[in-house]
Amino acid sequence: MMSDQQIIEGCARHERKAQQVLYDQYSRFLLGICLRYASDKAEAEDILQESFLKIFLNIKDFSGTGSFIGWLRKVAVNTAITHYHKNLKYRYHVEIEEYVSVETGVTSFEEDFFTSEELFKVLNELPTGYRMVFNLYAVEGYKHKEIAEILGIDTNTSKSQYSRAKAVIRDKLEKLGKLKSSYKENG
Amino acid sequence: MNIINKLKTKKNDKNIRELFRRKLDGAEIIPDPSVNARLMRKLARREFIRFNPARFNAYYLGGIMAAVFTAAILFFSDKFNSNNQNNLTSTDVTEKISGIKVFDVPEASVIIREQKEQQNVSGKNSSNVRQNGNSDVRTDRKVLEKESNTIAPAGIISNIPKNNILNDSNSESEKLLDSKVKGDAKIEVSALSGCVPLKLHFNVVSSSFDSCSWNFGDGGYSDKRSPDWIFDLDGEYKVVLNLFRDGKFLETSSTVITVYQRPQARFEITPEEPVIPDDEIRFLNYSANAIKFKWSFGDGSTSGLFEPTHRYSRFSNYNVKLVATSESGCSDSLIVMNAFSGSEYFINFPNAFIPNADGPSGGFYSNKSDESGQVFHPTSSGVIDYQLRIFSKFGILIFESSDVNIGWDGYFKGQMVDPGVYIWKVRGSYRNGESFVKMGDVTLLRN
Repeated sequence: MMSDQQIIEGCARHERKAQQVLYDQYSRFLLGICLRYASDKAEAEDILQESFLKIFLNIKDFSGTGSFIGWLRKVAVNTAITHYHKNLKYRYHVEIEEYVSVETGVTSFEEDFFTSEELFKVLNELPTGYRMVFNLYAVEGYKHKEIAEILGIDTNTSKSQYSRAKAVIRDKLEKLGKLKSSYKENG
Repeated sequence: MNIINKLKTKKNDKNIRELFRRKLDGAEIIPDPSVNARLMRKLARREFIRFNPARFNAYYLGGIMAAVFTAAILFFSDKFNSNNQNNLTSTDVTEKISGIKVFDVPEASVIIREQKEQQNVSGKNSSNVRQNGNSDVRTDRKVLEKESNTIAPAGIISNIPKNNILNDSNSESEKLLDSKVKGDAKIEVSALSGCVPLKLHFNVVSSSFDSCSWNFGDGGYSDKRSPDWIFDLDGEYKVVLNLFRDGKFLETSSTVITVYQRPQARFEITPEEPVIPDDEIRFLNYSANAIKFKWSFGDGSTSGLFEPTHRYSRFSNYNVKLVATSESGCSDSLIVMNAFSGSEYFINFPNAFIPNADGPSGGFYSNKSDESGQVFHPTSSGVIDYQLRIFSKFGILIFESSDVNIGWDGYFKGQMVDPGVYIWKVRGSYRNGESFVKMGDVTLLRN
């Protein structure tokens, strides 16, 4: 078993073994991040691969201050953002259906009611712009102003995208919730 | 009431945020094993290119060894060569003998020997190979020699430098020019054979004359001492040189030049509009006078088959190249650039148009009739199924078409709609079965 420090040093020397160990240890964690930013697993794996290439290329710049896993996470998120910018031209437009705002009655969701697979699926189905803003704001904890800078959009756009994303998510979760509870009642 | 609602959404917002943060942050997903394989392959490729003095990679070591080996061969063959000139080997003896025969045959007064002035390494190298003259060293040169034997009149020794003739390439003629074959007697020529069109440089090697005349055997003449001549038809040509002094005929020399036919590389791709990567592509070979083929499909893979089939792993515009080589070593190539551009399906819409103010046109258009852009319509290729809908800002459906040849003329219920932004949405499918959904906005302008 290699320690993080050994792995970092090995990777900095371009040792294949250390690279493989790094991949084996962190690929699942990083794919979990990538999947939040992608529309399907294949796209997430593309982002994952790009992230690892960046990690291996820049690992000698990892200063050692701060947590290694935090650094890895940052690289993955940044790669996902770059990926988003690269593919932006194909995704400029938002589905017309999504303009219709969703009114809801239910206000709270039980944490254990949904599995993480289901939540991933909800995220994957979001329009790309919504997904970026939602991830960065809700999960990564960026401020709307920062998100606006990162994505090259207006602060108000970030805010409105976020609230729309939330509305869509809420709608989807409710539908899913109804479906699940009906299963429970019947089964 | 309002305030309560607001509070509710705030709570709701936090609720969703917490839900996703707790459930998904740190969630682990097992990647497909192929990702690892792909990544490691990429890394290996990078590592291959990267020079690493610390480890001194095997390939660099291999490269250096190869270089040393080559240098050693060059060095030793050079030595061996000088020995050879003193102690004649059996092949040299026979060559010498046949060389003597040459002088017995009055017709064959042209002796072509390798130019000695050649100082460069490649020239030296080839001369070494030739003079060592043993079968193992020259593989393709054997053929070459046989050819030159049939060309040259009986008994003529023809030493041909390595880098010419059968080695067809773009710079062929230039190469031929700097590697000359020198006749001991009268004619010096840059090569004895080659592919059509063959440009040769001739020279008279004699000083005991004051005028000369060349007859190139294909109807061409020259009075120059060192003419250039291009043979642009295949065949065998007897080049005759007559030398004169003081107006009197002095002597004649001749040599035979063989000009090989060049093959023709021709091929067709079938199916004409393939679906890539699904379809297997067949390359139909219509080349003439060729025996050897080399295909490169543009994605890095190649084939030596007469009629190969190929499957591309992803869609792109590939340049397909065929190099056809004839028995005599001449080659011709054909490149089809962007071989699959015809199979690229697309549908694109403009972002503005100016309706005809004179009244609705019904939306028919052709590229000729709608030069001024009065109808909103796509440019497309390969669309078989199509549904276009246009909405106003308020979500009212104002136009619908399921015919790709009918666009929107800017009218709704007989009235031209207000200038402004309209939203369009199109769905349909291409000939290859792939479906598309696109949407965007279009600005309606008025003159």
